[in-house]
Parts: sequence; structure tokens; C-alpha cells
Amino acid sequence: MNGFSNYLHTLWQVFRKDLQVEWRGRQGLPVMLVFALLVVFLFNFALQLTPALQAGLASGLLWVALAFASTLGLNRSVSLERENNALDGLLLTPADRSAIFFGKTLSNLTFTTLVALVLLPVFSLFYQQNMLNPRLLLVVLLGLGAYTSLGTLLAALSIQTRTRDVLLPVLLYPLALPVLIAAVEATRGILGGQAWGELQSWILLLVACNILFLAAGLLLFDTILEE
Amino acid sequence: MQYNEAMTSAQTTPEPAAIAVQGLSKRFNLQPVLKDLTLEVTDGSLCVLVGSNGAGKTTLLRIIASLVRPDSGAVTLSGMTLKGNPALRRQIGYLGHQSLFYSDLNAVENLNHYARLYRLDYPSQRAAEAIASVNLVKHQHKPVRTYSRGMLQRLAIARALLHDPAILLLDEPYTGLDKDAALALDDRLRTLHRPGRTLLIAAHHPQRLLTFASHVAWLKEGRIAQHQPVNRLSETLNLQEYLRETV
Repeated sequence: MNGFSNYLHTLWQVFRKDLQVEWRGRQGLPVMLVFALLVVFLFNFALQLTPALQAGLASGLLWVALAFASTLGLNRSVSLERENNALDGLLLTPADRSAIFFGKTLSNLTFTTLVALVLLPVFSLFYQQNMLNPRLLLVVLLGLGAYTSLGTLLAALSIQTRTRDVLLPVLLYPLALPVLIAAVEATRGILGGQAWGELQSWILLLVACNILFLAAGLLLFDTILEE
Repeated sequence: MQYNEAMTSAQTTPEPAAIAVQGLSKRFNLQPVLKDLTLEVTDGSLCVLVGSNGAGKTTLLRIIASLVRPDSGAVTLSGMTLKGNPALRRQIGYLGHQSLFYSDLNAVENLNHYARLYRLDYPSQRAAEAIASVNLVKHQHKPVRTYSRGMLQRLAIARALLHDPAILLLDEPYTGLDKDAALALDDRLRTLHRPGRTLLIAAHHPQRLLTFASHVAWLKEGRIAQHQPVNRLSETLNLQEYLRETV
């Protein structure tokens, strides 16, 4: 029990530190938000969609905006730990290294979820879709959970390489494809008024991806971080 | 707990070295840096690790601190390996070439963060004492990105000593320090050098350290070429010659 409380303590300290750094520097969240809103505005004015087409495209556009914004956040998360080799400071402490992974994943998920919470009402306005649907919020959370846990793992991998700036998106997008497809399909189903049962397979795929990537982080993070 | 048990058993058996490195090898990009290196640093010593640029001093310290995985060989601290024993990392204080700080946070926030991760009692108080010990109270609420190189080095020294580690691994600790700060570090190291604490300090120009160090180890071509008590330096002509060249 004491071990578990230590684990949670480390997770919380890493999460808290990431929030504190973001609060002081304000270099991650504003960039993510501006980028995501820009995608919404640009596509809305560039495509001039009819209401019927808007419904079909909204889910794809939403996930393009969220995925790219999230990648920006992950890059910031990497650069934060790379600057002054701060990651070594974390690794030197007796903290369990997988707790560091969960702490970083939680902070990345928090930033991306905040972007989504701003983005969804804006999407509702521009694409005339009800995006403030509890079922849609669940899909967004599951999709972002899987995407950021995979992203955090790959960000840790890329931090050790010289090509780190390009390596993260190169690795992340292909591997996150099942997550993005499931999230887009589930979102389209919800916006199209499909019954919950019809979306079950996509939701289960998202849950499975969450479990898989979190388990991979738990098992591999320690090995990945050592040079 | 394991550490205490090991300490108790050590009373009946020969005491293991505070730092024992056995058959360590490491390559970077197929280039060998350390070749079957063996070194033992006994408890309570202050050992200066000397060697030319690229000799592998930093790599050796990073492997001992468990930041770099060796290709082969083993490191034990007081007879125990770090693998599978993360609590043992509490025994290590490490000062590297970089400060390990978050630039947007100030000194207090950075050290509080580390104090909490080490689960120290009264983390804020410990952080405040550490900042005071390196004479940075006046600057403690400024983001560390505004610090000079010397101030960052002083704060990094405070971080390495924050949790009162039994084993100190310092890589070129005088880098960036002005005369006063270097003298203060001399005093600090003299105070830290006592039974129960072991210091391994990498230095390219080791002359000031040799005035109070107990041992010197010469890292040459990936191996320890000489490892001697400082008072027996006169017996090792090659090392003496090397030290003269580094002045």
C-alpha cells in the first residue's frame, strides 16, 4: 500500500510540475489552441460546405485538429524535458519510472482535453452539429487518452535520438491510425444519430488501444529512457 | 530496508566498496568509450577521476548514476545493484554538465519539485536551506533561465546535495564558478569528505582537488590506468607526469 501511495505521489508530482511549467511559461497550450482553432476556421471558410456535407466532414476535421494540436503538445512536452537535460533529474530520483510515464501522459491528456473543450463549442457553431453530447465527450476522452499515451511513449523514445523533431510525428501518425479511425467513425456515428450498439465495436477498439498503450508504457518506459 | 540489512551483514563480512565497477564496457556508435573498466572506491574516500577529453569520465559517472546502460559489466553501490532497486538511487547525488532544471520555474520551485520526488520531510524547508547554502537567496524567485552559468552551477550543486546522499558523483563541479564560489565549493567538499560519504569527482584540471582528495584514478583509453591514494602519487611517475601536463 505504501508502494502504491509512493507511485501515486510520483505521478502527481510529475503532473503538477508540468502544469506549473505550463502556467509559468505558457508555451504549449496557447499554441495548441491557436492551431486547432485555425484548422476549424480555415476549413469552414475554404470548403463552403452544405449542411449535409458538414455533418459528414465534421468528425474528420475535429480529429485532424485534435491530433495535430496534441502532437504540438507532445513536442512541447519533449522539449521541456530535453532542455537542461531535466529528464535526467527525474530519472535520478527513486521514483518509479512508469509513474513518470503516467504523470506525463496525464498532463498531456489534460492539455489536449482543454483544447477539445474549447474546440467543441466552436465546432458546434461553425458546423451546426451538436458537439456537446456526453457520448461524444466520452469518445473524445477515449480517443485522446489512447493518442496521448502512445504519443508520450514515442516522445520518450524520440528524446534519445538526434532526429527527435521529426521522429515523433513519423512514428506517431502511422501507429495512431487505428485510434484515429475508430475515433472518427465513432464520432461520425454519434453525430449521425446512430444507436450506441452500432458504435460498440469502435468504442471497444478505443478502450483496447488505451489499455494496450498504457500497458506498453508501464512495461517499456524504464527501458526506453535508458541510453 | 534492503540497504539496512546489507549494512548489518557487512559487519561480519568484508565491507563492500561504496562504488564497485566490474568489467564495464560501453560503445557509442560502435566507438568503444569504456573497455572492461574496473574500479573500486571505498567508503569515505574522495576520489578524483582524471583523464583527457573524451577519456570516458562523464560516461563512467552516468553509468554509475544509472543514467546510461552499459553494454557489459556491473556497478554495485555498497554491494547492491541499482537494477530492480530504485530506492538505492536515493543514495546518489549527481552533478552533470547540465543543470537538470526547468527553465521557466524559479530556484524554489525547481528544488521543491526535487525535494518532493525524493520524499524529503519538510521539502520547502530543505529547498530553502539548499538555496541558502549556495548563496542564491536573493535570486531564488527568478526563473532559472535568467541565471548566469555560475549561478546555475551553484544551484545544480545544491540540487545534487539536497537529499544528503551517501555517494556523490560530480562531473567538473568547478565549471563556471568564480573565485569565491570555487573557494566555497572547496570548503563544502572538505566538509562532505567524511566516513559514510563517498565522493567521485571527474575533473580535467584536478590540481585544487588534489590538495584535499584521498585518492586519484586515471582514466586512460577506456580503462583505469592508475588508482592510487594521493599521498602515494610520487610512486606513480606516469600519473604525476600527466597531472603536471594538465596544469
